[in-house]
Amino acid sequence: MTSAYKLSDITLKPQNKIILTIPQLTVNSGQCLALLGENGAGKTSLINLLAFTHRANHGSIRLFDQVVGSKLKPSQRRRIGLVHQQPYLLPGTVADNIRLALSLQGVKRLHIPELTQQALKQVNLIALADQAANTLSGGELKRVAIARAIAYQPDILLLDEPFSHLDHRHIQLLEDSINHFAQQKGKTVIFSTHDRFQAQALASATINLVAGKITASPLLNHYHGKLDQHFFDTGKMIIHVTSELTYARHLAVDPREIIVSPQPLKSSMRNSFSGRLILIAEEGHAIRLTIQCAERFHVIISPEALASLNLSLGDTIWLSFKSTAVTVF
Amino acid sequence: MNYFIESLLAAFSLITSLDANIYRIVLTSVSISITATLIAALLAIPAGVAMALNNFKGKTSLQHILNTLMSMPTVVIGLLLYGLFSRLGPLGNWGLLYTPTAVIIAEAILIFPIMMNLTIAAVNSADPRLVPTLISLGARPFTLTIHVIRATRYAILAALVTGFGRAIGEVGAAMMLGGNIEGFTRTMTTAIALETSKGEFELGLALGLLLLIIAFALNFTLSWLNKS
Repeated sequence: MTSAYKLSDITLKPQNKIILTIPQLTVNSGQCLALLGENGAGKTSLINLLAFTHRANHGSIRLFDQVVGSKLKPSQRRRIGLVHQQPYLLPGTVADNIRLALSLQGVKRLHIPELTQQALKQVNLIALADQAANTLSGGELKRVAIARAIAYQPDILLLDEPFSHLDHRHIQLLEDSINHFAQQKGKTVIFSTHDRFQAQALASATINLVAGKITASPLLNHYHGKLDQHFFDTGKMIIHVTSELTYARHLAVDPREIIVSPQPLKSSMRNSFSGRLILIAEEGHAIRLTIQCAERFHVIISPEALASLNLSLGDTIWLSFKSTAVTVF
Repeated sequence: MNYFIESLLAAFSLITSLDANIYRIVLTSVSISITATLIAALLAIPAGVAMALNNFKGKTSLQHILNTLMSMPTVVIGLLLYGLFSRLGPLGNWGLLYTPTAVIIAEAILIFPIMMNLTIAAVNSADPRLVPTLISLGARPFTLTIHVIRATRYAILAALVTGFGRAIGEVGAAMMLGGNIEGFTRTMTTAIALETSKGEFELGLALGLLLLIIAFALNFTLSWLNKS
């Protein structure tokens, strides 16, 4: 399998403030990836790095196993489509914008009308082709921006927060447009979002970003605090960890590695807390429980496990997890 | 007071009677200023866009120099070019002194920093997403410049109009390098200076009124451009 991106040793620190540090990251081609993180986690910065509109202060990015020099070659640029969080359309009509992208990418004049039509068809906006770009609604604007980015048939589509500030119907239309592109053979899609459900609905995998770092576990149980030897103090509770790190500000617990029981368990697990069950929710093919201990924990279990546990809201239940289920960074 | 009103009336009749002498002067002035504006624009607009789009060492110093040049006294430019173009100067054998070309060069140099500075301001005040969007769509340095100019065309046109306004109202360099030769290098401003010192107040006033009308027209164009 070829890799669309291979990042190594990346540091991004404009004005001496570190925004991103990524020792290693590989994105296989043909994947639909969600970039998940809170505001300020570095999602936009990473998207900009992947789009080569910004450069890292240190490290290298390989694009389809090719090293990218100080300047991106036009042939490499053509393989990437980028949709900004608030896309900017140039003055003119919707079709003008798509034609401009095609001609900037060096597409032969002969093919431009056909590719313009094709791009508009993919986002289902043929009717708006001759509308002035500055009269579009927020949802239409994003879809036009997608059409503009996929018109020259890139291999990678990058979208920065595509679903923010949109109503449900427009999110649906946007998902259709992205899916339409993603389902073509060999196409890679990476989109950033702070919405886990959105990520799961569309993506086959997620990259979790916290404070400029990539973390392995989903960001359900993420706490700030201080690491002191093998104990992490969140300010409200102390969690046992096994880590060689001497300094860490964040802790995450994999929600699938937490064991739920109605009584305290006798086991070797170092972490055991009790709390009140406050939410039972269906999430994809799994069940998410939310338990209020000193901190709020989320646990993912199977529907069968839910049935056998016989839980109801308000119950006091016990959570146990090994210190190896904990990541600190 | 009578003197002033009589002169004003005489000036009006000179303008409305389409006095050939006056219109030749206006034509000289306008053609010199337009040529100077176009030459300066050809250099200042790409330079301004390039400077706004790129970060390089010494950019702030260059910006300071440009700001200083914007307020450079026109007689100083006149003086320097006079030294270059006079018979004994390094470019003396080009025979440029007391020709419209010399005036055009002086005016172009005079308005270059103004137009470049206004172009920089125009690009800097454009939507911050413009340049990243164009780059992500595959724009190369040349196409990027073209499309940035297209997107900021009204503000850049305003820079052109401002430059033209400065050139047509300029008197010091036009006098020193053009020599105020009738029918050749006599511009509106140099003619006003001459006619007034000769005591021909009406002719001076008529030219002054026309200059004012041009200034008004330019300002209207500017405010219209700013609105669009």
